[in-house]
Amino acid sequence: MAHGLDYVETERAAALPRTAADRILASVNDLVVKTSSAALVAAGFVLTYSVIVRYFLKISTDWQDETSVFLIVGAVFLSSAAVQALRGHVAIETIVGLLPPRVNRARQILVDVASLAFCGFFAWKSWTLLHEAWVDGYHSGSTWGPPLWIPYSLMTIGTTLLSIQILLQIMDEFRRWNRVR
Amino acid sequence: MSLLSIGLLYGGATLFAMFVGMPIAFALGAVATLFMIIFMPSGSVDTITQNVYEEMASITLLSIPLFILKGAAIGRSPAGRDLYGALHAWMHWIPGGLGIANVFACALFAAMAGSSPATCSAIGSAGIPEMRKHGYSPGFASGIIAAGGTLGILLPPSITMILYAVAAEQSLGRLFLAAIGPALLLVALFAGYAMWKFRREFRAALAQHKLTGAYSELLRVDTLTVSDKFALLPRVLPFIILLTGVMVALYGGYATPSETAGLGAVLALALIASIYSVWTPRELEPILIATLRESTMLMFIIGMSLLYSYVMSYLHISQSTAQWIVSLELSRWVLLAAILLMVVVLGFFLPPVSIILMTAPIILPPLKAAGFDLVWFGVIMTIIMEMGLIHPPVGLNIFVIKNIAPDIPLRDVVWGVMPFVGLMMLAVVVLCIFPEIATWFPDAVMGAK
Repeated sequence: MAHGLDYVETERAAALPRTAADRILASVNDLVVKTSSAALVAAGFVLTYSVIVRYFLKISTDWQDETSVFLIVGAVFLSSAAVQALRGHVAIETIVGLLPPRVNRARQILVDVASLAFCGFFAWKSWTLLHEAWVDGYHSGSTWGPPLWIPYSLMTIGTTLLSIQILLQIMDEFRRWNRVR
Repeated sequence: MSLLSIGLLYGGATLFAMFVGMPIAFALGAVATLFMIIFMPSGSVDTITQNVYEEMASITLLSIPLFILKGAAIGRSPAGRDLYGALHAWMHWIPGGLGIANVFACALFAAMAGSSPATCSAIGSAGIPEMRKHGYSPGFASGIIAAGGTLGILLPPSITMILYAVAAEQSLGRLFLAAIGPALLLVALFAGYAMWKFRREFRAALAQHKLTGAYSELLRVDTLTVSDKFALLPRVLPFIILLTGVMVALYGGYATPSETAGLGAVLALALIASIYSVWTPRELEPILIATLRESTMLMFIIGMSLLYSYVMSYLHISQSTAQWIVSLELSRWVLLAAILLMVVVLGFFLPPVSIILMTAPIILPPLKAAGFDLVWFGVIMTIIMEMGLIHPPVGLNIFVIKNIAPDIPLRDVVWGVMPFVGLMMLAVVVLCIFPEIATWFPDAVMGAK
């Protein structure tokens, strides 16, 4: 098992996209990863800028912290599907190695169905939260007070993509299951 | 249903979900959501996403991806190799100096990169072949790197410490400083052991040479000129400046911890661009992808762990368990030993982040009631989790070593690592007897609590 905290292997190990849906999602993920990378670096620059203006130019800072929160939260949620595509969300695999291959395939499908149930539920609740925030005009409680639909929409899109990704992986497993039989 | 049964069910369901191989983040989230639906008012389920967002939208937690970016930038550049080369040049005259140089290189690199596996692979990929070329036994060489790498989760900017600060509501600045003394203690212990072990292997090789004439590389003496030594410095200095600059920004009151993370990431990217000419999008892509991949995985576990502990606390599971532990009226040290044993066992299976966030609400109140300093305990708990990174059955660093030196049998790596596990235990005992090793530095810099 890996704790997943390693930079050692970061090869794109995913199987080649097969169906049209797989291919579409793969290119969406690719775009999302590029955007998220840029967002992360941007957050670094925003915080650096914050230090500079406060200490050298003596200007008070208000929007920097929250902007970097939005950028990083967005990057994390949006790229969750791309991480799932590589099975990058770590799991305990101590028992997995001991199971016969057929049982293990069935276990993988069940685990993915359970993951989909949770992520799907989370995505659905994100949509309702986003709707509320949009309709009722939620704002953050800080002095700057940006609208909350911005981060909520990133969370919603991210978890929705994640759910779609798991669904495609389950369909792929079923296809393989049938082929082997 | 009684509180005890709910608590047992909660723990049992979590273990089941995790051990069938559900990703840790989803397992925690799914169990928490299920228990919300069954045992909590229906309105609370509607706020689940808002709950996770608010827990995660903390600027302290979100400094983690930026610290990871800084680590990935340095970890994927040849900085590890250069740092190692310079230390080797300056320390090779000491008996066992090569081993000691590796320990020091690991510590310095860990302080810059903040990640244990990254340190192992950056220093180990240059250090292990070099040590073996000089006749060190493979197990010894891998033990030094595996153990040295664990300093990554202790030395600032340790991600483990950031999470502990959030979970235990302790000052992050104080925790970072408290880790420095114990980290130096570990470095000294590791270096002392490396020297002792080298002399033993050296004597054995010498006796063998006299007896049979067999020559061991251990007996060879390297000579390096003064200009060799100075030639290596310019490549290392900028990184040492980065390391100290970031610390000065943090403790000089110029920047908050999260701003330090942003500043560190930007400076690290600037350094690799200027020194190693790594700046095109194509070259930066692997660094950024590795960062995103690790950050997303980690932040999902963190977000879901926080939801998990929220449910645990709403249902009064954590409070009752904590009260129950307090009511046992164990002596201070029995309580500490029992808790640490539990952390060791959890370390067999779980990454440090989940151990901290899941257990903090349960174990910290009894420790506080028993009069332990929670900053000191954060350091102790981190060293215990460091042990989890190198001891079987999981020992992530062991697998990193297997990755960079595939020809060393797993058995040799495991046996080579064991003495270092012992040294870490020794460090924990020393810290229990002399807690000042951890508490002195933060008190001196930031004033007594």
